[in-house]
Amino acid sequence: MDTFWEKLQSIDRRWVYLMVGIAVIFPFIVPIHFPLSITPEARSLYDTVEALPDSSVVMLVFDYYPSTMAETEPMAVAAARHFFKKNCKIITLSNIPLGGPSMAEEVTRRVAKEFGKTYGVDYVNLGYKYGYVSVMKGMATSIESVFPTDNTGTPLKDLPLMQRVKSYKDIAFLFEVADNATADFWISIVNAGYGLPMGVGATAVMAPKFYSFYGSKQIVGLLGGMKGAAEYEVLIGHPDAAFRGMDVQSLVHLLIIFMVVLGNIGFFISRQHKRRIKI
Amino acid sequence: MSSIELFQIWIMAFFTLALFSFLYKDNPIYKFAEHIFAGLTAGYQVGLVWDTVIIQKLWDPMLGGKWILIIPGLLGLLMFARFWSRYSWLSRISLAFVMAVTSGVVLTTQLHGLVLPAMKATMLPLWNDAGLEAAVMAVVVVVGVMATLIYFYYSKEHVGFIGVTAKVGIWFIMIAFGAHFGFTVMGRVSLLIGRVQFLVEDWIGSFSHIF
Repeated sequence: MDTFWEKLQSIDRRWVYLMVGIAVIFPFIVPIHFPLSITPEARSLYDTVEALPDSSVVMLVFDYYPSTMAETEPMAVAAARHFFKKNCKIITLSNIPLGGPSMAEEVTRRVAKEFGKTYGVDYVNLGYKYGYVSVMKGMATSIESVFPTDNTGTPLKDLPLMQRVKSYKDIAFLFEVADNATADFWISIVNAGYGLPMGVGATAVMAPKFYSFYGSKQIVGLLGGMKGAAEYEVLIGHPDAAFRGMDVQSLVHLLIIFMVVLGNIGFFISRQHKRRIKI
Repeated sequence: MSSIELFQIWIMAFFTLALFSFLYKDNPIYKFAEHIFAGLTAGYQVGLVWDTVIIQKLWDPMLGGKWILIIPGLLGLLMFARFWSRYSWLSRISLAFVMAVTSGVVLTTQLHGLVLPAMKATMLPLWNDAGLEAAVMAVVVVVGVMATLIYFYYSKEHVGFIGVTAKVGIWFIMIAFGAHFGFTVMGRVSLLIGRVQFLVEDWIGSFSHIF
């Protein structure tokens, strides 16, 4: 007859899904408020933006697909809030055809409304152009040659902000929010080639790779996944979606650790039990 | 909340729940959602590339007098020769062009932007103003890089000093894999949180506007 531990080894995976499901929903009903620490990478990004002079022009790049919005959008929203709070002028663009330009439009319009900013004067959405390597290289010479119009088809010469911004030379800082390899190209082409200081907000899956860029000082700061987004929300004093999600994140992590430990105990006990039966 | 917004939220909720239904078992509702997603993605991408590349970058400038663009246009058309076995060799001309340009751009940017800065960041001074912690970290970085490189050095058998160093390299690699796995778990859980956040806050929140 199977022992409890042996049964545990062959449990239907749907029970695990159910437990994870309950762990995800529970904190939305009863908030737990797990503590949240700030990492040096997020602090460094915040300090760099804080040190930007008034009315600096910054580039906020929306290089993520809608499928990773849960992690990436809170970073973009928090960064846009910080930039507008510092009275920076924001230029957005995307190298992602599926949803990138519309997410840039939605996020910047929503945050601009909170701060009473005007399109064309305080922020511009350049939209999307195919071929990110040529886009990144082309903007070093002339932004207008790559993007003759903004996302809605308005010529750049008709937008007051774009009359003072011609190339990377007129941009003080770039923040790339990414869920794919375009972030590597922003670092290797734009930062290394043209010296534009930049920070990266990456999905958790990508984040470990970007620690090496932070270590080599190619990026001034890094937000890794939902945790990084939550840290930035706390730093700018505006806890939002990512901060609320971190309660769930911590609870599910505890559940996963519990299941990994339980599974290993079960494995070793049932192995010992089988050995005893053989003897 | 407008009726359009309500409709959008319910459509989103339907497709989210349809995809989650796969967790129980494969079913026709999941298949329906999957096919809709694949079809929409392909259609949207074709439309977008047609507008942003063919029209904006090729057709309109050509009509404006930039007839030189007929060359990249022809190179693009040659790609379609792959559909006919007799003429498929023609597509190699375009592919050769793409490969040459990509190699030229990627080689220089990878070397200048990724490899050299990473090497520079590995050559750290042991004693500087940053103190003892920085010195210890510098040693860890150098030992980690050397040991990992030796693990991937296959021209000499991994015995003796080389063997011990390669084993140290495996430890560094395993720690890196652990960090990657931990972050991957966080990423996947985040995606689930995003969907549940939508279902709890937006979809269930919309009930009060309907019922």
